[in-house]
Amino acid sequence: MRKNFRILIIPYLFLIPYLFTFIAFRFGPSIAGFFVSLTSWNIVGTPKFIGFSNYIELFNDPSFITSLINTLYFMVLTVPALIVLGLLIALLVDQNLKGRTITRTFVFMPYVIMSTVVGVIWMWIFDTHFGILNYYLSFFGIKPIAWLSSVNWAMPAVAITTIWWTVGFNMILFLAGLQDIPEELKEAARIDGASNWQIFWNVTFPLLRSTTVVVLMLTLINSFEVFDQVYVMTGGGPSMATLTVIQYMYFQAFQYFRLGYGSAVAYVVFAFLIVLVLIERQLLKKVGES
Amino acid sequence: MKRKNKYLSKTILYLLLVILTILAFAPILWMTVSAFKPEGEIASYPPTWIPQHPTLSNFSYVLGTFNFLRWTLNSFLSAIVATIIVILIDSMAAFSFARFHFKGNALLYATVLSMLMVPIQVTIIPLYLMFAHVHLLNTIISLILPTTGNVTGVFILRNFFRSVPQDLIDAARIDGAGYFRIWWTIMLPLARPSISAVAIITFISNWTNFLWPLVSVNSDASRTLPVGIAEFFGGQSGVSGSAPQYGPAMAAALMATIPAIVIFLLLQRYFVKGITMTGIKG
Repeated sequence: MRKNFRILIIPYLFLIPYLFTFIAFRFGPSIAGFFVSLTSWNIVGTPKFIGFSNYIELFNDPSFITSLINTLYFMVLTVPALIVLGLLIALLVDQNLKGRTITRTFVFMPYVIMSTVVGVIWMWIFDTHFGILNYYLSFFGIKPIAWLSSVNWAMPAVAITTIWWTVGFNMILFLAGLQDIPEELKEAARIDGASNWQIFWNVTFPLLRSTTVVVLMLTLINSFEVFDQVYVMTGGGPSMATLTVIQYMYFQAFQYFRLGYGSAVAYVVFAFLIVLVLIERQLLKKVGES
Repeated sequence: MKRKNKYLSKTILYLLLVILTILAFAPILWMTVSAFKPEGEIASYPPTWIPQHPTLSNFSYVLGTFNFLRWTLNSFLSAIVATIIVILIDSMAAFSFARFHFKGNALLYATVLSMLMVPIQVTIIPLYLMFAHVHLLNTIISLILPTTGNVTGVFILRNFFRSVPQDLIDAARIDGAGYFRIWWTIMLPLARPSISAVAIITFISNWTNFLWPLVSVNSDASRTLPVGIAEFFGGQSGVSGSAPQYGPAMAAALMATIPAIVIFLLLQRYFVKGITMTGIKG
């Protein structure tokens, strides 16, 4: 009897510490955020239940719409580049070339630098008057570009920074996918007289499809949540040209202290991500079937 | 003809390899070079890749003007403590999920995994309210605790523990070992590669974490390195547009970067492992 009881309780004893932190710091706050979003809550005052008013206000809020459009623009600038470059670089460093591991190391290295440092480094590179980028561009007859202080160039500058910073991460994921492909398959195709190009399109790429879906999703999600680089490099400016959704959440909650409204922004982000994940599931299923 | 073609394409590939390496490394090198330039030289035109009068004045300025060492210590301390807690509690939970049949196992594990879909940003405002309520904002504790509710550690370790042969556990049971001893003396040592990967992921994500430390701490005594750099060297701090200020900024950036790069070069294998385990199979 006693022994039975011990066996019954042991699995739960192992779980308790983790379940405590998980519920207190991850699961609980995730749920609580929704309830906060249904209130009008200014740090000092008491929360007042206002239903879905925050959400209604949000979609009539031009600044929020701007931040959404900016975030989508950022995604357009970064996601395709990160996927295509990540794959191409992985293919390159997967070739039997001397020094490929050195290139791998250097391409991945930026990823271990903290986001705010990355931002500061590139602020210096992008500096209008003393920046090294404008200096090299002048060789091609290009006049100094006010990268971070012009409405047109600020977002592309942040995008370039982000691509440099994270392309190595995608390279590693694609590389892992490439190395899972049995060498015999490519060898067999080669013996049958297939060219490198044909091998890539007919053997490698189809087998890389599920990797590609996963990398695409991770990249989409990360770009959608962009905050750090923008906070450091432009602060959302000039004139809201680089204001992103998460940054808008931050502003509303911690500069204007509208915690309910900020939570509503966070939950809209959540809703977008759910849609993305559902699309991913469908794509992966399709890939699995074919 | 064909051989010549092959030779040419090989050359192009090597050329690409070199260009890629240069593009990836140039910004890091430029940061390093700029950090050693004196005030007059940093804005010199044309820019130089080798400092003409190398100096350490930028470093001493940063260390003398800001609580840089304090930020570093805070970052390091919170990351290391969080990592230790995560490894202990995640491996216990993972052991339980992987090796016991009990009521609610599948449901609980599904709940844990479901949080992979919820962006961490959703938790920031409730966490802020919670820590404000118990008066723990502006403390190192507030930097550590939220990390310990992470999901990936449990995910990676559960997958590993499921692959351990049952015979090992049975043999230990026959020798009279309790389950806590089995966890500590059999499971943990076996899982060393996976634990290293979890440790690196946890440490790095804590070391580089920005949004939550930005929100939860606003006293210099508990500030972390990423936040300190953003607040005192970022675009809102007055650095931009004045070249001499970039010297200290690059010195600070370099000091913040060196530990991460050294750790990365030493433990590269585990980095890659950690990424592929959470990325591909997640």
